[in-house]
Amino acid sequence: MTDNTQTLNFKVQAQGLDFFYGDFRALKSINLDVREHQVTALIGPSGCGKSTLLRVFNRIYEIYPGQRATGSVLLDGSNVLAPGYSLNALRSKVGMVFQKPVPFPMSIFQNIAYGISHFEKLKPADLAVRVEQALKQAALWDEVKDKLKQSANSLSGGQQQRLCIARAIALQPEVLLFDEPTSALDPIATSKIEQLIAELRRDFTILIVTHNMQQAARCSDYTAFMYLGDLIEFGKTDKIFTKPNNKQTEDYITGRFG
Amino acid sequence: MNINHGLIQRRQIVNNLAIALSAVATVIGLFFLFWILYTTLSRGIEAMSWNLFTMNTPPAGATEGGIANALVGSLMMCGLALLVGAPCGIAAGIYLAEYAKLGKAGGIIRFVNDILLSAPSIVLGLFAFSLVTALGGSFSGWAGAFALMMIALPVIVRTTDEMMRLQPKQLREASLSLGIPLWKVNTQILLRAALPGVTTGVLLALARISGETAPLLFTALGNSFFSLNMSEAMESVPTSIAKLAMNPDEFWNKLAWAAAFLMTSFVLLISVLARIILRTNKAAND
Amino acid sequence: MNHTFTNFDAELTRLYGEIRHMGELAVAQLKAALFALHSKDAAVADAVVRGDAAIDALEREVGHDVLRLLALRQPMARDLREVYGALKISADIERIGDLAANIAKRVKIVHRHPALPVLDDIEALLNFSALMVADAVAAYHARDAEQSHAVRARDAELDERYTQLFSRLLSHMSQAPDAITAGTHMLFIAKNLERVGDHATNIVENTIFIVTGEDALDQRIKRDGTTN
Repeated sequence: MTDNTQTLNFKVQAQGLDFFYGDFRALKSINLDVREHQVTALIGPSGCGKSTLLRVFNRIYEIYPGQRATGSVLLDGSNVLAPGYSLNALRSKVGMVFQKPVPFPMSIFQNIAYGISHFEKLKPADLAVRVEQALKQAALWDEVKDKLKQSANSLSGGQQQRLCIARAIALQPEVLLFDEPTSALDPIATSKIEQLIAELRRDFTILIVTHNMQQAARCSDYTAFMYLGDLIEFGKTDKIFTKPNNKQTEDYITGRFG
Repeated sequence: MNINHGLIQRRQIVNNLAIALSAVATVIGLFFLFWILYTTLSRGIEAMSWNLFTMNTPPAGATEGGIANALVGSLMMCGLALLVGAPCGIAAGIYLAEYAKLGKAGGIIRFVNDILLSAPSIVLGLFAFSLVTALGGSFSGWAGAFALMMIALPVIVRTTDEMMRLQPKQLREASLSLGIPLWKVNTQILLRAALPGVTTGVLLALARISGETAPLLFTALGNSFFSLNMSEAMESVPTSIAKLAMNPDEFWNKLAWAAAFLMTSFVLLISVLARIILRTNKAAND
Repeated sequence: MNHTFTNFDAELTRLYGEIRHMGELAVAQLKAALFALHSKDAAVADAVVRGDAAIDALEREVGHDVLRLLALRQPMARDLREVYGALKISADIERIGDLAANIAKRVKIVHRHPALPVLDDIEALLNFSALMVADAVAAYHARDAEQSHAVRARDAELDERYTQLFSRLLSHMSQAPDAITAGTHMLFIAKNLERVGDHATNIVENTIFIVTGEDALDQRIKRDGTTN
């Protein structure tokens, strides 16, 4: 079986990345190359640093004092951790979806339009087109097209999460970060979102943190196993789950950990 | 398992006893509450009429009268107090919840706020008065409104702070991840999400200041005549109740009861309204 | 290290035990067929034919257990290779059992005819294959890749012996036409034994895959020259 993903470019690269919560070193010299238009999963036991790593990529940790990152993270070759790199530009290129669906306290339409309006001045007709596009990409359009003016809180949990995904996609980012996106959802909603992630790969580079190994096995192309702040093993998902190189990785995925 | 029936029985007896005692306590509390309401209602009904709203506080010996001037005065002073106090309080609450929460300053501000919250209102009234006289003024509607504002402020700050902090942290992070600046996140998203709670806070502050008497005695004093002039002494419902009740004039006393009934109903109405707001919002969000 | 979920370990142990039992039965069947051939004992031959049912039953059980393990335990990495390997190995052992029963049937027929001089060679070939199977099952039980490679190498010799036996039988049958019936059955027996060797090789190749995760790299050297 030939692996033609080897020719894809690296979209995001972490190089010698360290992360500190105060004095505690949570990430130890991480080197990770994320290929574009692929889904890369971060797995590992609690406290291994996978969420911490994810949150470096859009610098969301900066709102909390005492948290800092050293080293570099390259997005298309430019270091996003450098002081000169515009946070605004970063946030428009890298979108994030969280564990808890958090729609804005507005109508469904406004949820999507709000972010767009912050960056672009669009005529109402154009705005409506963008909103429809985003909702279609998030596989939510058919379910909400007749109730765009209703409050977003009237949607079910799975729909709200897809709304949050549509909201992030609406800004037309290049990278999407998912932090345990289906932990709070039932199995059917979970499958819909996993399917969505598989489709979104065409247009975005995706990083997903999950504590559910089977989800990583189902959705991702590449998997990174982390433990206590170290990146233990990184490779194609099918190889990691059939023949991992590292014993720790094997113990974790076969359920022999702890 | 060998169940010790004695243990279970004893527990059940204690349980029943506790329930009985709580029920008795509730009955006692409710009894007095209803007695107050009944007394207020029955005594007040006699003097209730449209005159209450159209005529001013009567001179001694009169047979007709109302509290129109008191109502207008309360309206104006409470209105002004909230007009200035609510935005201030909400802004301070947002600041506390969003910007100061991680530093020591947050803890200190909250502590001071709590002290103000429970300070005797007469002390606040005295402070308002001395400030106003130091600035060259005297008894006036402005001073009264100022005193009321100082009483309402800590309530609003506290509720806003709590309501904002109840919002899930991911809402904040999700908004920031979209590149939206922090001030917009706080006002257009987080505050909007916390709005039902914040509104309730303002309503509760209104309920509180509408009944404050002591600070107004120092600042607005009272005025038997109808006045729309905030620079003069102003009548308010609680102060008029005080005046009407303390005098042996029978008609005045009746009027006092009517005013008391009106006040009680008003506070009751506000509490119910606050509850409705919270409940419909909870239903929409679930 | 053991699985955190202990039932999983118990179920895997059960599976391996079933394969081991199957292997032991198959080797016993081959040895019994050899005995029937050597001592012309028709009763033993019948027993071999009947005995195949036990191996078939075990193979069905293994199939059920593998299905269950896959559905309920979601095995990964080594565990996955073990379960997948167990399924394939049980199929090979079951075929070995079938071949042994077929040999036993033909042994009875052969003994109703005058003896042919190649009987000694057939016995030797039967012994050789039985040993291969026994060693293959042992290598699987020990999960030993080196032992597996050693067994794999013997298949070449088995094929050569079969090729020689094949030519000798052909020349006999062309010289003595009444020997054709017995000779043909002997051809089938010999062919079955060559197949037994192939299945034993499959078993060790699967064992190598279980242990290393790689397919056995060098091409199996086929010395079956009968189709040249």
